[in-house]
Amino acid sequence: MSLLAWVLVIISQLALVAGQIYLKRAMSRREQPGEKSRGWGGLLFIGIATMTVWFLLWLGLMHQADLSKLMPLEGISPLLIVLGAAVFLRERLNRRGWAGVGLTCIGVLLVSAS
Amino acid sequence: MPKPAPGLFWNPYLQIFLTVLLTAAAQILLKAGADASASNNSFWSWTGMAELGSGMTWLGIIAFVASFGGWLYALRFLPLGLAFALTNGVHVFVPVGAWLFLGEHISLLRGSGILVIIAGIVLLAQSVAQVEEKV
Repeated sequence: MSLLAWVLVIISQLALVAGQIYLKRAMSRREQPGEKSRGWGGLLFIGIATMTVWFLLWLGLMHQADLSKLMPLEGISPLLIVLGAAVFLRERLNRRGWAGVGLTCIGVLLVSAS
Repeated sequence: MPKPAPGLFWNPYLQIFLTVLLTAAAQILLKAGADASASNNSFWSWTGMAELGSGMTWLGIIAFVASFGGWLYALRFLPLGLAFALTNGVHVFVPVGAWLFLGEHISLLRGSGILVIIAGIVLLAQSVAQVEEKV
């Protein structure tokens, strides 16, 4: 893949992680009682806008690059999301959960390598 | 964390399952749309704008939007990391769907990858009861 493709891949993955974190923040805030739920619509908008950036970049990459080269990145994204959620949302997974994330990532890599 | 409404349909895990099914359909439609649209190397082809000329792409977008509703609902009740990892079920449904409906061959490597993903999802499901979320 060209340098431009790699730059777009990195931007798309960052947009995916950021977008999902904003979506989760929006839906969590929506569940807060009364005044505390204010602003959830704005967070949802930021999340959707960021996911739209990811979506269009992903469409363009699917057009330009072999799917077999892109699919391993799909395998890495859950790991990035879990790490992002741990850092920014203070989510905690237990050992079994981490093992589950690891196995699904390996499985996606195997499927995309075939 | 809040409790979901009673009834099977409002179970957040069922909503994740529906999201996964719709996303798998969307991926296949988007790939078909990308293949159908004319190939060019202009700047806009990198942004995916060229694909918007294909009806398949728009069907794929509709499926994505529908899956989005289920996803937002599930996020109200489940931690993001866990929910997103469960969506890896897409990588099971796409090859299995292609095998069932299109008669595509599943190689040994691909089959073993599918089994590893299923094992991972089972582990995630087992960990659910112990997962803590501090938002």
